[in-house]
Amino acid sequence: MKLPECAAALVDLALKAGDPYSAAAVHVIAAGKARRKLEELMFSKRRDALALARWEHTPASVLEALCGASDEAIVVRLDKNQNTPAQAISRLYVTESLSSKNSLSLTVLVAQHRHASLAVLRNIAQFENDEASLLAVSKNLASNSEVLSMLLSRFESNSILEALQKNISEHPSTSPQLLEQLYDKGDVYVKAAVIGHANCSQRLIDQAVQEESVLIQRQLAADRRLSNDVISRLSLHQDKSVRCAVASNLTAPKDVIKSLATDDSDVVRRVVASRSDLTAHSINSLMNDPDVWVRQKLARNSIVPYRVLAKLSQDLQADVRRGVARNAKCSVKLLRVLAKDEDYWVRSAVAYQRRTPKQLLVDLVEDTAVDVLSGVANNPNTPQKLLKKLTVSKEADVRRGVILNQSATRLTLLPLLEDAYYLHRLMLVANTKLKDKDKWHLCFDPDFQVRFAAFRYFANSFIKSGS
Amino acid sequence: MSTILVIAEHRRNELRPVTFELISAAQGLKKSADDKVLVAVVGSQAETFTAALSVSGVDEILKIPAPVSEFDPDVYEAAVSALIEAKQPSVVLLPHSVDSLGYAATLASKAGYGFATDVFIVEYQGSDLVATRGGYNQKVNVEVDFPGKSIVVMTIRASVFKPLEGSSSPAVSSFDLPTVQSRSQNKDFVEQGGGNDIDITTVDFIMSIGRGIGEETNVEQFRELAETAGATLCCSRPIADAGWLPKSRQVGQSGKVVGSCKLYVALGISGSIQHMAGMKHVPTIVAVNTDPSASIFTIAKYGIVADIFDFEEELNSQLAA
Ligand SMILES: Cc1cc2nc3c(=O)[nH]c(=O)nc-3n(C[C@H](O)[C@H](O)[C@H](O)COP(=O)(O)OP(=O)(O)OC[C@H]3O[C@@H](n4cnc5c(N)ncnc54)[C@H](O)[C@@H]3O)c2cc1C
Repeated sequence: MKLPECAAALVDLALKAGDPYSAAAVHVIAAGKARRKLEELMFSKRRDALALARWEHTPASVLEALCGASDEAIVVRLDKNQNTPAQAISRLYVTESLSSKNSLSLTVLVAQHRHASLAVLRNIAQFENDEASLLAVSKNLASNSEVLSMLLSRFESNSILEALQKNISEHPSTSPQLLEQLYDKGDVYVKAAVIGHANCSQRLIDQAVQEESVLIQRQLAADRRLSNDVISRLSLHQDKSVRCAVASNLTAPKDVIKSLATDDSDVVRRVVASRSDLTAHSINSLMNDPDVWVRQKLARNSIVPYRVLAKLSQDLQADVRRGVARNAKCSVKLLRVLAKDEDYWVRSAVAYQRRTPKQLLVDLVEDTAVDVLSGVANNPNTPQKLLKKLTVSKEADVRRGVILNQSATRLTLLPLLEDAYYLHRLMLVANTKLKDKDKWHLCFDPDFQVRFAAFRYFANSFIKSGS
Repeated sequence: MSTILVIAEHRRNELRPVTFELISAAQGLKKSADDKVLVAVVGSQAETFTAALSVSGVDEILKIPAPVSEFDPDVYEAAVSALIEAKQPSVVLLPHSVDSLGYAATLASKAGYGFATDVFIVEYQGSDLVATRGGYNQKVNVEVDFPGKSIVVMTIRASVFKPLEGSSSPAVSSFDLPTVQSRSQNKDFVEQGGGNDIDITTVDFIMSIGRGIGEETNVEQFRELAETAGATLCCSRPIADAGWLPKSRQVGQSGKVVGSCKLYVALGISGSIQHMAGMKHVPTIVAVNTDPSASIFTIAKYGIVADIFDFEEELNSQLAA
């Protein structure tokens, strides 16, 4: 069968296929009578309509079309489906509020929906009394500072105030003014969240320095606006979680980091070992650290010089050697040694490493461990000849590695269009190396998800080309 | 007197642990001292298993020598059908395993026996045999009874019944396999790749990471957290596909079903159908996700709407305290 030349021809084919998923895929490009026929095909059986209302891949236009349904089970699914578009959610909210059976649980679903409009959220914040719905608004990322502020002022002494304060103190849209208000009135958890908030004012940061709570000190210690004096003081804090926060603070001065590199606590030294501003002195002390996690983190740190990586590549712990093999700056010389490591997980790290040269990958393809072979299949340096060999591996994971390989050419990928595992055919629908004529037959695949993906792909191509 | 028949499962000359769990389940079904637990073992090497099967709770062992040593659906169906015919047991217990899936339903359906799969509670309520299994994606427990059925076949979920301790001296006899034309052939065994990594189907506490961890460099801190908490670190498919954790740690439809897990902490995992296929049965699921509408919350016992990095930091400081 030939590739259709226009959108109408594709819709026609989906109608002929008689399958609700293929119909859903092309719904957005259909108009008039054809669109109605598609809807009949998708919704005439309640089971199909229910499945589409819930399915995570159902296109927005189909969910919108379902929105007029009077079936409550469908409405619940639409409210829950995160792809339901904003307009449909607003419409559902209005219908539900007017309904005599006004269901609170549906309002909660709307209040937490990512496509809920500001108008809907404002309305819930202002007029609803149900706690779960109000809390959902306070957590919804679509809420803005005005809605959040409205919620707070509405419930100054209500039982949900505490929960609202916690949610709002963590909401990314909370304004600096609202954060100040929360800091003054909130408990220690709210205060700590305010200090950790990206919109927290310098004034509050300065004020928080006087606080005794470890929770607040920990948030403070990670703040990049602290003066060197305060950081130095916090680096001596008796609680290691505060010192850990200092160790992760990118603005911490060198001498502070140098002393934290020999901190009593393993967990503090582990954080230090990942820093990109370590001095040679700190690196030398960390490379001999008794804690394996410290050495492992150092091994992955791309600022570590060859001499140190060479030593760590001989560590008795395989995790440390793997760290070296995954290091973005690991030299080919070390990769050659690690490719022969007795531990398959170390060899796998070499196989996935972008610096591993062709010849080493050719050697690694003789390995028997599936993780190593998957790495070779995934690696953009692997020669096409070898990739072709791997497309017939009996391990699905290895064949999938070839599909995920960004350097795999069209010729290499072609045989995988017939792969026995439907996931692989599904993944190839979006592959840009393959031509439309290669993928076309996937519209008639035995698996409904593959058919859906293929029809959707062609529908989107028509949208893009405007035909 | 009634007989409870257990079909032993073995692979590559080793009895699978679930066999002993079935014996324990069978023991719990004895209504009187006269009732007998009969364990049948099929295969060319059936003889070699008798010593290992002489454990508490077993009254008789039946060897069924067969031309093949490994599982074959046609051979097992013929052997078990003939055995049921001959012994007329009231209950037949098979493991809920890939082997049993190959013949149990056919066997029960052909002879019209009562049948229930993936059973995790089996008991007599008065004189009625009742099996409990999950329904609606394990959201509800369903009790199944078998009115009018004198023989009931059940496949039993692994890691639910605790094997009995101690040994016994059961009678051992042989049973002849009827003539059977097998349609399949065992060519060779292919070991799952992944080297000598831990078998995640046998562990009881799992922390699992998903795409929410963002970058490969973040994997280490969750490995560290899992180690401190005494958990095994597993993952969703994108993490294994990227080579950030071994394939043997992938949970789900194309990964592994974590059959023995009792506590599963899902970190930054959305809860796709394919992932849930490997863990939805776990009795206690804790999910941490920033998105309150993530599907994982529909099966979680405890849902935490939070950033996994905050969770990790907080849990680490609690564990260190
Ligand atoms: C045939 C087939 C077989 C498959 N087999 C498997 C399988 O065996 N196992 C498997 O897992 N998948 C499998 N998949 C893939 C599956 O469909 C999903 O794509 C996959 O499970 C998604 O993985 P995820 O949850 O890690 O990622 P995502 O779906 O991307 O979810 C990431 C989650 O992390 C959350 N998040 C992001 N940042 C943070 C943060 N900082 N803190 C907290 N939460 C955060 C997000 O809200 C999101 O919910 C299969 C698919 C197919 C088609």
